Amino acid sequence: MKQTSESKAVFRNHWWLKTLVALGPGFALSIGLVGLFAWWGPGGIDAPNKVQFNMWMVPLVWLVVLNLVYPMRSGWQALGWIGGLALLTQILLYFSRTQWGIQ
Amino acid sequence: MAKAGIKVRGEWLKMYKTLHTWVGICSGLLLFVGFFAGALTMFEEPLQRWANPPQDNLRPASEMAAAELGQLVDTVLQQHPAARKDMTVHLQDGSPAPVVWHEGPFSRDIDLQASEFQASLDAQGQLQVRQYVPGQLAELIDQLHRSAGIPGDVGHDVLGVYLMGVAAFLYSLALVSGLVLVLPAIVRDFLVLRPEKSNKRFWLDAHNLIGITSLPFHLVIALTVVVFAFHDVFYDSMAELVYGEQPMFGGRGGAPASSYSIEALPPFNEILQGIEAEAPGFGIKSVDLFNLESARPAARVALSTDDFVTRGAREGYLVLNPYTGEVTNRNIVPGQEDVWSGLVATFFGIHFGSFGGLTMKWLYFLLGISGAFVFYSGNLLWTESRRKKLQQAQPHRRRFHSVTVMRALTNGVCLGVIAAVAAAMVVAKSAGLFAAVSSELLSTGSVGQGAVNQWLVTTYYVVFLGWLLWAWLRRMSPARNAIEMLVATALVIWLIPACGLLWLLLGHTQMSMLSLAVEMTALVGGAGLMFWAQVLRRKQVDAADTVLAAG
Repeated sequence: MKQTSESKAVFRNHWWLKTLVALGPGFALSIGLVGLFAWWGPGGIDAPNKVQFNMWMVPLVWLVVLNLVYPMRSGWQALGWIGGLALLTQILLYFSRTQWGIQ
Repeated sequence: MAKAGIKVRGEWLKMYKTLHTWVGICSGLLLFVGFFAGALTMFEEPLQRWANPPQDNLRPASEMAAAELGQLVDTVLQQHPAARKDMTVHLQDGSPAPVVWHEGPFSRDIDLQASEFQASLDAQGQLQVRQYVPGQLAELIDQLHRSAGIPGDVGHDVLGVYLMGVAAFLYSLALVSGLVLVLPAIVRDFLVLRPEKSNKRFWLDAHNLIGITSLPFHLVIALTVVVFAFHDVFYDSMAELVYGEQPMFGGRGGAPASSYSIEALPPFNEILQGIEAEAPGFGIKSVDLFNLESARPAARVALSTDDFVTRGAREGYLVLNPYTGEVTNRNIVPGQEDVWSGLVATFFGIHFGSFGGLTMKWLYFLLGISGAFVFYSGNLLWTESRRKKLQQAQPHRRRFHSVTVMRALTNGVCLGVIAAVAAAMVVAKSAGLFAAVSSELLSTGSVGQGAVNQWLVTTYYVVFLGWLLWAWLRRMSPARNAIEMLVATALVIWLIPACGLLWLLLGHTQMSMLSLAVEMTALVGGAGLMFWAQVLRRKQVDAADTVLAAG
């Protein structure tokens, strides 16, 4: 038990894994978050001229995610967090787009 | 020792140091070109005007009475059907002619022979029309800024633009890691330059100082460059994953059934009065008339203002129907946007520095130049610490391949771009004037600057590649090479005021605020490089094999 908690505490650079997490799941997460903002944020999905603002938010979130993965303890932790959140937001976005958002 | 500062975990510091080094090395040279050329784009209109031979200018709108200008526009529209598709009326100085239109397709790439039709009235009120190839100096600088001069069509743009977008990702990492790295010492060392400690320390302090003080600007630049490069990808992904069946760009409200006919177009002066009523307090820079013989005619008005951030690089816009005067898009009029368009205009405005007038332009110019310095110094700092590290491991070796290559690349690319742009400016002005003067003497009838454009682009690439080759050939004596190249680059920059003076003495140009500003800036810039070379020479210890000249 002691051993695992110690090895968990070791910081790993995992350059490739963290970078790939930021580029793949990280992009899905940024589209997911911006998508939820587009549907449920102020003005809703059909607010005029909101599309361009939303587009600008995609790289903003993406760059923040890119900068968040490296200080994480390991690539696997990054995959867990970013991948998990990406999955969650994409599921919510899917239902927003196909079910809940349709009046 | 560490009196104050913010504690950062050791493992993070180590990680961020590695990260900062590698993203910096991979993106620094591209970003140098982007920032140096970007600083120049702040003044690309005046630079083009400086290069344009005054002999080639038709009578500008500022010298015409309102009635005359109206008559000019109405006559051109009547006599030249092609102009009804896309015509620009320049109400402020800066274009070689007040009325310009295009025939043929539009190209995103630089097209050196692209001609346009220009018209004006001469002093007697006679219509003058000519086909003219405008100078492309401003376009060259703009392309360098956007693509670092890396050609090749990919997707909707040139390869260099996408590479610049990738560099912007790395750049965001470099900014954040750089910030974290200075945190432990931020209170102790901030705003302190320590020339007495060591030269490397001084360079590092300068690198940090400029980086930290202009951090907000740099963060916005990183974001905007990613958007400029990859907006298509983002829109496509959003269409797929966010909007689905929802229309992204609201319907156009049903097209009117019939096309407009040119006979119904009100006189230009009436359109202008309508514009002035819709945009009081703005300067009207130019009016673009589009698709006049279609169901969707448009007048896009470029508005100049110093009081707002604007959507365009130098202006805001108002779009209206020239037949009815009905405004079709007010969301790009500075200060009249809705919330979303206003926020977007802010991103654009902070990238372009399109607010605050001339002061802000100069500030942005300095931010661009100092940003370029951060990348240049970053690369040289890397070569220095890498050399030290390798030397500890192999004390008998004096030279290391990675250090030699990066040093040659850094000096070749950075000084090469500066020298190449300066040389292109000299060629643009001299060849343009020479062509104008000789055609005047020989009365061959100038058709513009097609040959000049060819020369200017060739000059750019020859000088740039020449500087790169030079740095490479002399890579084994880097300290001496850095000094030689600094001096040579300064001399090329000084050709700008020299050529200005020469043409002035020959009586073919006149002195103006514009020429003074351009030539004095070049004089100062060249002096800066010369001074720097002098500093290096004084401290040169070639045996130490360093470009930072450890004293």
